[in-house]
Amino acid sequence: MKLLIIEDELELSNSIVSYLKSESYSCEVAHTYASALKKIDAFEYDCILLDIGLPDGNGLKILEELKQDNKSEGIIIVSAKNSIDDKIKGLRIGADDYLPKPFHLSELSARVAAIIRRKQFTGNNKLLFNEISVDTVSRQAEVNGEVVDLTRKEYQLLLYFIVNKGKVISKNAIAQHLWGDGMDTSGNLDFIYTHIKNLRKKLHEAGCADYIRAFYGMGYKFTE
Amino acid sequence: MKLQAKYSRATISTAIFVLILGSISYYFILRYVLIKEVDDSLRVEEQEILDHVSVHHSLPEETNYRDQQIHFIPATTIEKRRFVSTNVVNEKEKESFVSRQLIFPVQVGEKSYTAIVTKSEEEAEDMLILIALLTAAVVLLLFILLFITNRILFKKIWSPFYATLSSMKQFNLSNPGRISLAKNDVDEFNDLNMAVNEMTGKVVKDYQSLKTFTDNASHEMQTPLAVINSKLDLLIQDQELTEKNMHHLQSIYDSVMRLTRMNQSLLLIAKIENQQFPDAKNLRLDDLLKERLQHFEELIQSKQLIVSTALQKCEVVMNPILADMLLNNLLANAIRHNIVAGNIEVETANNYIAIRNRSESSLLDEKIIFDRFHKASHSDGLGIGLAIVKQICELYGFRLEYAFKKQMHDFQVSFR
Repeated sequence: MKLLIIEDELELSNSIVSYLKSESYSCEVAHTYASALKKIDAFEYDCILLDIGLPDGNGLKILEELKQDNKSEGIIIVSAKNSIDDKIKGLRIGADDYLPKPFHLSELSARVAAIIRRKQFTGNNKLLFNEISVDTVSRQAEVNGEVVDLTRKEYQLLLYFIVNKGKVISKNAIAQHLWGDGMDTSGNLDFIYTHIKNLRKKLHEAGCADYIRAFYGMGYKFTE
Repeated sequence: MKLQAKYSRATISTAIFVLILGSISYYFILRYVLIKEVDDSLRVEEQEILDHVSVHHSLPEETNYRDQQIHFIPATTIEKRRFVSTNVVNEKEKESFVSRQLIFPVQVGEKSYTAIVTKSEEEAEDMLILIALLTAAVVLLLFILLFITNRILFKKIWSPFYATLSSMKQFNLSNPGRISLAKNDVDEFNDLNMAVNEMTGKVVKDYQSLKTFTDNASHEMQTPLAVINSKLDLLIQDQELTEKNMHHLQSIYDSVMRLTRMNQSLLLIAKIENQQFPDAKNLRLDDLLKERLQHFEELIQSKQLIVSTALQKCEVVMNPILADMLLNNLLANAIRHNIVAGNIEVETANNYIAIRNRSESSLLDEKIIFDRFHKASHSDGLGIGLAIVKQICELYGFRLEYAFKKQMHDFQVSFR
């Protein structure tokens, strides 16, 4: 999978690259509007991360360019301006997703994975992890072919874990992913523990091995 | 006190003072003049009597008219010549008249007489009254006319001032329509208008630049926050971190999260103030509340809260994002500040929603709970959720009320 990261903040793009690289994506970076246009002309990508606040041009122009050329890349807009106008405009021009800064890398990774899934397959779409199979269309999880009865949030959590498998995900990232910005939960993320315990229990009852490992109360890792 | 009242008070009291003083002196001067007149005619009478005596060597006949009487009284001593004001009683008509008398000695041969010439002052008095009344009437009329013209003139002259005042009152910094002040023919008011225009222009400009600054500052902060967040996400992947390291990292995570939320909340408040949420839709708040309760299900369960709902249809026209925010913040507070195994009551009707919760704290100070960054001492929140709620309510003209009833904190938003 080839990704293009259009981001002028060097350190941020470095972080993104090192996180996504380990998930077997090959990443290229463009720090300016001009270099981004060059790269888009020259290569094909599966997914493009697009910061619309570039110093030498508006990222939305790049988006328009891409759409004019009928390119099929999945596009995620990354913006420091959590502006509804930009979001609506971006999505209308043809972006697939909108991610306001600051974000967790695990969140970004999940969004990228979702877009690549959407672009590559139609219809039947399953994520596999050993005995677990997650159908992202019917939004169901199966263990050894048996459907596990999960709540919506448990399903989201499982999917989040599988997409970020092998990575430590902070509690903060999980809270953000499941409850969004609306939940002002600062300081108290204990409820996540209960939530994970429930998921663990359900998977265990379905005959699934325990892949969820806790990390000193600060995060979790889904790993073999 | 109104300017006009103050002005009228000053002019009226001066006028009354002058009127009283003037009429008193006017009365006395007039009276003096009239009495002098009577005295003159008494003197003429005296001369006639003396002439008669010197020619005829006898007294003239006594007369007793209504307005003039002449009497002679044989005198033993020689009376001094003098003018006297007195009341003379007319026996026939049983009336008394204010009269002026000239008393003087008359010598006829060997005999001495005292002559008393009396002239009624009634006529003069009548004239005095007539003149006084007439003058009073004229002066009164003058006053009334002056008062009315003053009033009209005052209104007319000061009208640009009141126009300026009312447009200043309507001036709203967060939504400044340009103050339009018409030119007029009074220099002072033109100066005032110019000063007001300059001042509001400057205030609006400063406010705008301050807002732009806050906006930019908040936006610029997002990228460094994103960098910190991403570095933390990478750092925790390190296999060699100790438990102690992890605790430190968690603190950093939490702080970054707080900073992020604070930043976003401030941006949000600024956006609401700037009225950047125009798309109002007809929304069912009861349905949205159900959704929100579902959203918070896990949180509610982990605190073992008991939620009781009484949801009736509640339709409101507002922006959906703000509606979500409103319900979210109220509900999140009701959960966060609740006690373990406490309860939450959610109620909607066609013109209000109410969210009540138990809490360890008792009555909160209604004056400050909606202020930014105000929070109860034990609260671990940002203290900005209710400020956002208030801002949203102000934007749509909803009434937001807080009460503490039956050990429950009661937040109520009324529409219409």
